[in-house]
Amino acid sequence: MKRWLKIGLLLMPGLGLILIFIGSVVYIAIAQSFGYFNLSGESGFSLEYWAKMFDRLSYTRAIGYSLYIGVASAFLAVIFAYPLAIWLRRPFAGSLFISAVLKAPLLVHGLVAAFLYINIISYNGIVNQLLQALGIWDGPHRLQNDSGAVGVLILQTWKNMPFALLLLSGAVQAIGDDLLDAAADLGAGPFDRFRRVIAPLAVSATQAALVIVFVGALADFSFQVIAGPINKQSLSQLMVFFKGYGRWHDAAVIAVTLMGLGIVGSGVLALFSRFVLRGGRLS
Amino acid sequence: MNTVSVQNVSMRFGDFTAVDNVSFTVAEGEFVTLLGPSGCGKTTLLNVVSGFLQPSAGKIEIGGVDVTFVPPEKRDTAMCFQSYALFPHLSVAENLQFGLKQKRLPAAERKQRLNDVAEKLDLVAQLEKLPNQLSGGQQQRVALGRALTMRPSVVLFDEPLSNLDAKLRESVRLEIRKIQADYNLAAIYVTHDQGEALAMSDRILIMRNGQIEQSGTPTEIYNFPQTSFVADFIGDANILDATIIGQESENSWRVSTKIGELLVKSDAQPIAKRLKICWRPENAQFGAGEVNSIEAQITHRAFQGNYTDLFIEMNGIAQRVQWRQSHLADIASLSMHIRPEDIIFLEAIT
Repeated sequence: MKRWLKIGLLLMPGLGLILIFIGSVVYIAIAQSFGYFNLSGESGFSLEYWAKMFDRLSYTRAIGYSLYIGVASAFLAVIFAYPLAIWLRRPFAGSLFISAVLKAPLLVHGLVAAFLYINIISYNGIVNQLLQALGIWDGPHRLQNDSGAVGVLILQTWKNMPFALLLLSGAVQAIGDDLLDAAADLGAGPFDRFRRVIAPLAVSATQAALVIVFVGALADFSFQVIAGPINKQSLSQLMVFFKGYGRWHDAAVIAVTLMGLGIVGSGVLALFSRFVLRGGRLS
Repeated sequence: MNTVSVQNVSMRFGDFTAVDNVSFTVAEGEFVTLLGPSGCGKTTLLNVVSGFLQPSAGKIEIGGVDVTFVPPEKRDTAMCFQSYALFPHLSVAENLQFGLKQKRLPAAERKQRLNDVAEKLDLVAQLEKLPNQLSGGQQQRVALGRALTMRPSVVLFDEPLSNLDAKLRESVRLEIRKIQADYNLAAIYVTHDQGEALAMSDRILIMRNGQIEQSGTPTEIYNFPQTSFVADFIGDANILDATIIGQESENSWRVSTKIGELLVKSDAQPIAKRLKICWRPENAQFGAGEVNSIEAQITHRAFQGNYTDLFIEMNGIAQRVQWRQSHLADIASLSMHIRPEDIIFLEAIT
């Protein structure tokens, strides 16, 4: 049997299925965004849906808002995960317990987490009660669905930080003590050891964490619907809105936009993080 | 003036004492080796000097300044690690300049120091390579160069040659010694290889169970070990229990051992009536002598190239001698003698 055929057949059960499922979804979304697969009329190539969408302010605002949530969530998750990964690098008494607690959000569904969060910050929730009891606030404040999407960012960070921690822990633990000792011996303090040794050596894990969190947060629906600002819509919210009115071509335009932003944004984030963590070099 | 002064340093990990009340000094330009078996505390002591560990007790001074609790990044030391610890993501040139950038030296001085070290260590052609593109010997030289570019008061070596093959080890040890002498650096070198210690050191500190068992020049340590541990650790030694049975003259004593009565000539007085003595296998004189003649049975022989190790037995006591002549006849016994001045008094038997 020819080598390429053998490799192809071996990959078929796994990679083949993935490619078929992803490929078919991507194909349908792209085709539908250009007027094909019309569920209620004639199908045919058209740029009308794209043109109309670009004219809508809600669309461009949703792009900006989703990018903001995606990028900020990715950076916040990684920024919080890094010091924890370094702290938990070498085992100490209780480190296993701390590590398990930090990873607990992975086991809680996002929807449940969002409801819990809403309850905590509600008008009569414990945050308001505590701050009033401490005398910091005179009366309750409205914290839910804040216009800056801080609630969404807190939830995204809370939910995604453990995942980033898992990725970064592996990379940070793989860095030998000797390397960090050598850096210290050559005059590097804790921050310089991070900047010049840990960060460049963990760059792949950082890229993976940033990209995975970014793609998830970019297309977030549940956190946005429950805890998000009421005056802003995310792309996924807008997509569901169009779909709800049976406007499949418009929904497809947003789906393709999300995929495109996911790919381009991931690439930019990956290059940016490599550039920054490698001290201004991409190679 | 002493560059390094280690005063009554102890290092404890819970109930375990890794370094126990150790004191020594290293002068400018001096090469001192901490030698001992695995687990004797030598690397722990080096880590205390470098600042990676803070001692449980005692004081460390470098250049007359107390640095006991100064972090490693602020000490005037540079370490050569056993694993080399080269930064895998940086080129050789960047590795060599890592500490210089940390010190924020001007680019021109960084370049000059880089070129100096690269030329001295024959690394000019390797400067753009990554560490994983270098051989073991080249990596070792980069590690050494990285320490030397810092121009520290003290350079610390943690078994830097243990990953090299025997031939390369020999050439690199000469290189290290030459460079250390050229830069007139105080050096503390940790090894468990007694050959390395003898060949390189101005002074050797033999460590055992966290303490210094004996210190001295390589010649003193080899020729005049004070304990059976030192005698056995440095080179090969035949160690016997002995009892002084009389003094023959001002510096010679007659002792009784299980292989017979022996005459010992020593400038050092025996420290007890019952004590241990030793003699080196290479000091055995073949053929009968005027004194200390012995008849022995050969039990085993091991060809070593330039000599043959003979394992012999005398009155049920196993000893070892070196046959240095090219041809060894197929003999089952031999006659030999030990010169009185080749027998050394060791510690008392308690």
